[in-house]
Amino acid sequence: MNYFVKGNPDLCIGCRTCMIGCVVVHEGKHIFEVDPDSYNFNPRLHMVKTAKISVPVQCKHCENPACMAACPVQAIYQEDHRVLINTDKCIGCKACATACPFGAIDIVSLAGTRQADGSERKVANKCDLCNNIAGGPACVRVCPTQALSLVTEEDLGGAMEKKRMEAARNAYMEIHPQNGG
Amino acid sequence: MSMGIPEVEDAGCLLCFGYNGADSHPIVARRIVRGRQKGMKIICVDPRVTETARISDIHLQLKGGSNLALVNAMAHVIWEEGLTDDRFIQEHTKGYDEFLKVIEKYTPEYAEPITHIPADMIRQAARMYATTKPAMILYGMGVCQFSQAVDVVKGLANLALMTGNFGGPSMGIGPVRGQNNVQGACDMGALPNSYPGYQNVTVPEIREKFEKAWGVPLSDKVGCPITHVPHRILHEKDEKKRIHAYYIFGEDPAQSDPDLAEVREALDKCDFVVMQDIYMNKTGLYADVILPATAWGENEGVYTCADRGFQRFRKLIEPEGDLKPDWQIIAEISTAMGYPMNYKNTEEIWNEMIDLCPSFAGATYEKLEKYNGVQWPCRDKSMEDKGTPYLHKGGNFATADKKALFYGTDWHPPLEMENDEYPMSLSTVREVGHYSVRTMTGNCRMLRSLEDEPGWVQMNPDDCKRLNLEKGELVKILSKRGYCITRCLPTERVKPGATYMTYQWWIGACNELTLANLDPISNTPEYKYCACRVEKIEDQEWAERHVKELYDDIRVQMGIDTGKGAAS
Amino acid sequence: MKKELGSFVIGDSTKCTGCKACEMACFTVHNQGSNHVGKTVGTVTVPVVPRLFLTKFEYGCMPIQCKHCENAPCLNACTKGAISRIDNQVIVDPEKCIGCKDCMQACPFGAVTLLPYAKDGKVVAQIGSNETRVFASKCDLCKDVPGGPACVRACPHEALRLVDPEAEREEKNIKAAEALLLTKNWR
Repeated sequence: MNYFVKGNPDLCIGCRTCMIGCVVVHEGKHIFEVDPDSYNFNPRLHMVKTAKISVPVQCKHCENPACMAACPVQAIYQEDHRVLINTDKCIGCKACATACPFGAIDIVSLAGTRQADGSERKVANKCDLCNNIAGGPACVRVCPTQALSLVTEEDLGGAMEKKRMEAARNAYMEIHPQNGG
Repeated sequence: MSMGIPEVEDAGCLLCFGYNGADSHPIVARRIVRGRQKGMKIICVDPRVTETARISDIHLQLKGGSNLALVNAMAHVIWEEGLTDDRFIQEHTKGYDEFLKVIEKYTPEYAEPITHIPADMIRQAARMYATTKPAMILYGMGVCQFSQAVDVVKGLANLALMTGNFGGPSMGIGPVRGQNNVQGACDMGALPNSYPGYQNVTVPEIREKFEKAWGVPLSDKVGCPITHVPHRILHEKDEKKRIHAYYIFGEDPAQSDPDLAEVREALDKCDFVVMQDIYMNKTGLYADVILPATAWGENEGVYTCADRGFQRFRKLIEPEGDLKPDWQIIAEISTAMGYPMNYKNTEEIWNEMIDLCPSFAGATYEKLEKYNGVQWPCRDKSMEDKGTPYLHKGGNFATADKKALFYGTDWHPPLEMENDEYPMSLSTVREVGHYSVRTMTGNCRMLRSLEDEPGWVQMNPDDCKRLNLEKGELVKILSKRGYCITRCLPTERVKPGATYMTYQWWIGACNELTLANLDPISNTPEYKYCACRVEKIEDQEWAERHVKELYDDIRVQMGIDTGKGAAS
Repeated sequence: MKKELGSFVIGDSTKCTGCKACEMACFTVHNQGSNHVGKTVGTVTVPVVPRLFLTKFEYGCMPIQCKHCENAPCLNACTKGAISRIDNQVIVDPEKCIGCKDCMQACPFGAVTLLPYAKDGKVVAQIGSNETRVFASKCDLCKDVPGGPACVRACPHEALRLVDPEAEREEKNIKAAEALLLTKNWR
């Protein structure tokens, strides 16, 4: 099963430290030294603020990814419990972005790249669970209220098991209320 | 704050009044969020749906400018429904009967048309606050930045007194100070009416103590608050009172004071302006002399946290360039002016100060190091006195007879209400990412990538639709004082008719519009309410070019590299 | 704020009945000016050249058209520079096109095809030959047509929709955030 990061709206304070953390670990330390126009500020998760909610939204690393099915050039693949995009193959056709029901995919410019008409290449951008980055998902690490958590197969399995046991207990109590307490 | 910040998460009920923790102090917001997880009840009073309002039990989304009407109505309910702590009122307070006369007419029904909050909700909130113990009040600029501010603070204190919510942990009343290090600045007497340690300049014994310690005669008159300075430069007729020189340090009045057109005029006409700061900012453009100071990490000293906690901060790196720590610059200027200051380090200055301030006397560097900070009052130098987490223990107050004083006043509206020419209201707010006027964070490229000029004006989607505005569109927003250009941000979090802007942008400078209407006692301006108008700009391409030109212009004037290389 | 991404039209095969009203509408609006295409089919003297192509497949049918890719393979393949971005959309200049077929081959969707070029009510010949001149024909989002994409307007079953990628993403984000409210007690 694929892993994913999810946000808790009860703990999120909308500060966007997660977005900054995401950019910093994906770009690397050099962003603090080079020409600001030469690095990419492309966070892979996005803060949503409505009247009722503040929480970041990001890729759920689906099991039957709609994005992977829609991609005409096979740029999207699954590996090591995550869904990844090979941006070298990406033609920016937006099929994946349109297919994703969560809007988790953004199309972003890659600084320093060139197309035939002189413009920068634009590619699909989404959460990659900090693939190949030491320390695991940066957003989880930097959130000041610990509103984000990485959910693994074990975590989800464990939660399901607990809920089922609770359901069984409640069903039992319905028939044997005197054994409760 | 009468309590310590860690106590926030253990309150039974939090009345969060005109305070937006998530945007002003994420670390305090963390405590609020944790408190909620522990089952804390939250009543949030704010005209917007802030992060705290989102997780609150009751959100009183009042009309801006109606604070005291609401506070008095809550007091009325607490009295009328017999929810008072009569023993506490009797043993520890005075003036209760006079106070009741004032709040008698403030029934929730009376307050409803003023506050736009249903009477029943006011009752529910008052009951929740009065019956859930311990109950804590946190308030911020939503209380202070109105022409009726001090009255509201007293009004909130009345609520805490009525319900006996003083003198124990996780209760009381806390102004969560706007920024670091405003608490410290006040503690050190950077106020026109007090010496360090809140000792009044008009009291002869105190003045004599300082005259003796410092070896100079001192004035017995209250000084000039920052918000009076433009007037004292531009319009003061008495030559003895007219201001000719302005030494500004660690503050950016040309960005954060109200009615910026007037501030600029004052700075222009002032004969001599000195600016001492860590980075170039708007005020620097008007300075005759700029004294560059060291920033965080490059110097050491003491800050005071909003909850009265003195904390040591330490030097990490050697500053590069022609800079000095603030205290050294001031000492050298003082010496050059004829009053020698020969301090070798900050500890010498600190020790001299605490020996003159009874409430701080015990807060030595040794103690600050050992205990990672000390909350004043800390009167005893012995290591046993670790300071005071919360005030008014045992119901004792800082009055002659140790009793707290009830103080009731009538509500009045803000000075400049909406009118035909300016049919909407404007209030200044903050956001996380950039900090205050951006003297520091404007130079942090990550934060600039997150948010940059010309900022946003938050408006209700209905208003945006009415004015045919889309998200991100550049608009002109004007008031009687001036205008600025910024981007429209439709959001359901604000009510129709109201607009909100952060005060940090040079181009989207909302203080062009605000007015210098001051609370008569605190002299804080009414940033939270003025009348404005929003206009659509048809030629968006021109507007984008214009904003970019203005931004580039200012950066050139400030000598900042326009975007290339590490120096920016 | 300026849009950064190109919009595009996409079809829904569950609604499409294969009537080709979209193809006719597309041809009509692109040929009224230069090819005197009038009010009825009887006035048409040039080949019917659409820029979207009804496609039948195992599960039904739907028109296929250009997605205005951000790194458009057609644009990057065209050595004549006949394909460029105008207002975020990928547009072919038929005057510059020499019919080399690279863009056709590059497009992974088959959204580009070479079709006869007509002007002033007559099919045009190639220079130096009697063969019909052709040009790379593909959806241009009706950029010069008042009322916007004609195919969307013409479809009797509303099987075509114009996608604003940035606006759609934001709407979807909000739905995803609201779903997080329902799953916050997953443990």
